[in-house]
Amino acid sequence: MTSPIKPPKGNWWDQPVNRRESIWLGLGVGWALVLFGWMSAFTRIGDQNPIGETYRVTEDELREKVDAFKDAAEEREDGAYVPDGDDVFVVGQRFDWDGLPVVLETGREYDFHLSSYDVQHGFSIRPEHALSQQINLHVMPGEEWVVPMEFDEPGTYHVLCNEFCGEGHRGMHGTIIVEEGSQ
Amino acid sequence: MTHALDVFGWFDNEYDDDGFRTCSVTGFDVHRTVENHVKLFGVTAVVFLLIGGLFATTVATTRWELIGLLEPGDYYKHLSMHAWSMLLFWIVFMEVAILYVGGPMVLGRKLPLPSLAKVGYVVMIAGVLTIYYAIWTASGNPVADNAPLLTAYVPLEVNPLFYAGAIVYIVGIVVAALPFFLTIWYEKRENGGTLPLVTFGAFVTGIIAVEALVGGLVAFAGALAYNFGLAEWFDAGVYRQWFWIIGHGTQQINLVAMIVVWYLFTHVLAGAEVVSEKVSRTAFILYLFFINLGAAHHLMVDPGLSVGWRVWNTSYAFYGATFASLVHAFTIPAGLEAGRRKRGKGGGLFGWLTSAPWKNPMFSTSIFAIILFGFLGGITGVMMGQLQLNMSWHNTFATVGHFHSTVVLGTTVTFMGVVYFVIRTMFMREFVSSKLASFQPYLYCSAMAVTALMMMYLGILYGIPRRTAEVVRNIPRTDFSLIEAAPLFNVFGVFALLAITGGALFVLLAVGSLLFGDRIEPGGNGDLVADGGLEMATDPEDPVHAYEMRGTFVLCLFFLGVFVVAYALNWFLLTQLWSIGA
Repeated sequence: MTSPIKPPKGNWWDQPVNRRESIWLGLGVGWALVLFGWMSAFTRIGDQNPIGETYRVTEDELREKVDAFKDAAEEREDGAYVPDGDDVFVVGQRFDWDGLPVVLETGREYDFHLSSYDVQHGFSIRPEHALSQQINLHVMPGEEWVVPMEFDEPGTYHVLCNEFCGEGHRGMHGTIIVEEGSQ
Repeated sequence: MTHALDVFGWFDNEYDDDGFRTCSVTGFDVHRTVENHVKLFGVTAVVFLLIGGLFATTVATTRWELIGLLEPGDYYKHLSMHAWSMLLFWIVFMEVAILYVGGPMVLGRKLPLPSLAKVGYVVMIAGVLTIYYAIWTASGNPVADNAPLLTAYVPLEVNPLFYAGAIVYIVGIVVAALPFFLTIWYEKRENGGTLPLVTFGAFVTGIIAVEALVGGLVAFAGALAYNFGLAEWFDAGVYRQWFWIIGHGTQQINLVAMIVVWYLFTHVLAGAEVVSEKVSRTAFILYLFFINLGAAHHLMVDPGLSVGWRVWNTSYAFYGATFASLVHAFTIPAGLEAGRRKRGKGGGLFGWLTSAPWKNPMFSTSIFAIILFGFLGGITGVMMGQLQLNMSWHNTFATVGHFHSTVVLGTTVTFMGVVYFVIRTMFMREFVSSKLASFQPYLYCSAMAVTALMMMYLGILYGIPRRTAEVVRNIPRTDFSLIEAAPLFNVFGVFALLAITGGALFVLLAVGSLLFGDRIEPGGNGDLVADGGLEMATDPEDPVHAYEMRGTFVLCLFFLGVFVVAYALNWFLLTQLWSIGA
C-alpha cells in the first residue's frame, strides 16, 4: 500500500494527503512564485541586469571596429585609451583583451561591446579595492554583445578571463581605469 | 556454481533452478542476470572513482597555490581527467546499475537481452578509453590540440578523437539502458497495473537520461562536423545549447536516480513509507517535463539570447522542477518520520531521526546526501539560476562549489551507499572493518562540505575564477593578483585533502571487502533489515499518512528559512555593484 517497492493497491490517487504536507506544497508554490516574480520584476526596476543587444559579427568586421575605436581614442602615456565617445570595445583573444586598458569616468554610461576574435572567453571584472564586487559575462566569437555599464566608484578594475581558452589562459588580464567624472 | 574465470568468487551466489534467489533484506526475487550485471557495472564504476580521485588530488593541490603542484599544461589535462572520470564514468556506470536494480530487481524479473547489457558495457569502455587517450595525449598547443576539460567548447581546438569517443560512450550507455526499458515494457504488457514508486522513478530517470544523451549526440556529432569544416553553422552558441542538454542533463539523471535510491534505502533500511503516492509521483512527472530546462542556467550571461527566453526557461519552466525537489524534500523525510512512528520508533519531535540506524553507512550516506544536497547544492543552484545573480556566480570557483555540493555531496555520497549495499547484499561480503565503514561517510561528508563551502566563499567573495591553474599568488604579466584569497585557500586545501582521504578510505573499504571480506551466508544480513520489517508497509488498515509529520515540517521550515536568507544575501551583494545592463 505505501511501500515504494510494491505496486500500490486500489485507488492510490484518492488517498488523503497529510495536512502538513499540503501546507508545504502551498509554501513551495508560493516560494517559486516569489523567485519568478522578483527576477522578472528586477529586469524592469533593477540596476544590475545582464541584458543588451547582440549583433552577429565576423572576425574581420570586429577587428575593423576595434581599430576604429582605438584610432578615435586618445592614447595616454601609460598606453591606456581614453574613448572618443560612449562606446568601449573589449574583445578577448588568446591571451589578452583587445581594447584595454581603457580610461573611463564615473557617472557616465558606456556601451561595452564584448566579443572574441577566436574562442569562448569569460569577461570577469572586479575593482581592485573590493574583490567581492565582481561581474562575470560570457563572450563568444561571432557575437558582439553591447552591454551598458555605469561605474560609480573610481579605481582600477581588473578583467580576467574565466573560461578556459588554452594553456596561457591564466595570464589573460586587462585593466579598466575609472576616474572621477567631471559631472 | 563458480565460473572458472571468477577467481574472486564474486559471481557465485546460490540460485534456484529458475536462476532466482530471495534477498533477505529487501525481499526482492533477484535473478542471476540482473545481479551479475549490477555487480559488473558497480565494480567498474568504483575503478573510475579511484581514477577520478587520484586526479582530484593533483587538481586540488594545484589550485591550492601554496603547493601549486602542476604546471598549467598538465593541470588542464588532469582537470579534464578528473571531470570525465567522476561526472561521466563513475556516476553513469553506477546509474546503469541503479536502473537494473530499480527495474528488473525490484520487479523480480530477469534482465531481458543480457547480451545487450554486455555489448553496452564494452562500447562504453571503448568510449572511455578513447576519451582518456584524447585527453592524455593533448599537446596543449592552443591553436591545435587543447585539453577538452568537461565542455570542449566549440571552436576550441580539440582532438576530434575526443568527440568521437564521447559519441561512442553515449551510444554504449543507450544500449546498456535498453534491457531496462524492455523490462518496463514486458512488465506493463504482462502484469499491467501501477509500477512500484521506485521503478516508476527509475523509469523517469531513464527517460530523462535518453533525452540528455540524444542532446549529447547532437552536440558531439555537431562539434565533430565543425572540427572537420563540415558545419560552420554549428558555432559556439549552437554548441553551448546542445552541450548543456547533456552537460546539465546528466546531472538531472543523477538527481532523479539518487532520489530513487533515497526512497529505496530509507524504506529498506529504516522503515520509511510513501506518505502519498499521488504527490511523489506527480513530483517525478514534473521532473520529466521540466528538469531538462535546468540546462538553460548555463546560458544566463550569454550573448544572443532574449530576456524572455532566459527568464522563462530558468524560472517558470524550471521552477516546475524546483517545486518537485521541494516536494521530495518533504516526502522522503516525512516517509521516514511517519514510517518510524508507525513502528514505534519515533518519540518526540525528532525521535524518529535519533533512533535511526546511523552506524549503517548505507543509511547515513543517503541522509547526509539529502541534507547536504538540499542545503548546499539545491539552494545555491536555484540562486545562481537567477538571471541577475548568475552574473556573480558564472564561471567563478563558487560554481565549482555548487556542483561539488550536488554531484559529490548528493550523488557520489548516495552512490557510495549503493556500493556498500551491493557489497553486503549482492556480493554477500562483510566489510573488512565495519567500524571504518560506519565512520567513512562522516569523514567524507564533513570534509567535502567544508571544501565546497570554501569554494563558494572564494568564488563569491573574492571572484576567484574556475578552470585556471594560477590566479591567487601570481597572474603572469601583471602585478595584480588575488592574494587576499590565500588564507581561505589554505582552509580549502586542508579540507580537500581530508575529503580525498575519506574517498580513498571508501575505495579501500570497498575493494578490501570484495577481496578479503568474510562471506555472508544466505539470510545472514539480518542486521540491515529495517525495524519492524517491511511487511508493515503493506497493511491497508494502517495508512501511513495518518501519522505525525511535525518533525519533518519543522526541518523543512528551517530549510526554507535558510533558503530565504541566502537568497536575500546574494541579492544584497549584487545590488552593491555598479549599474549594468539595458
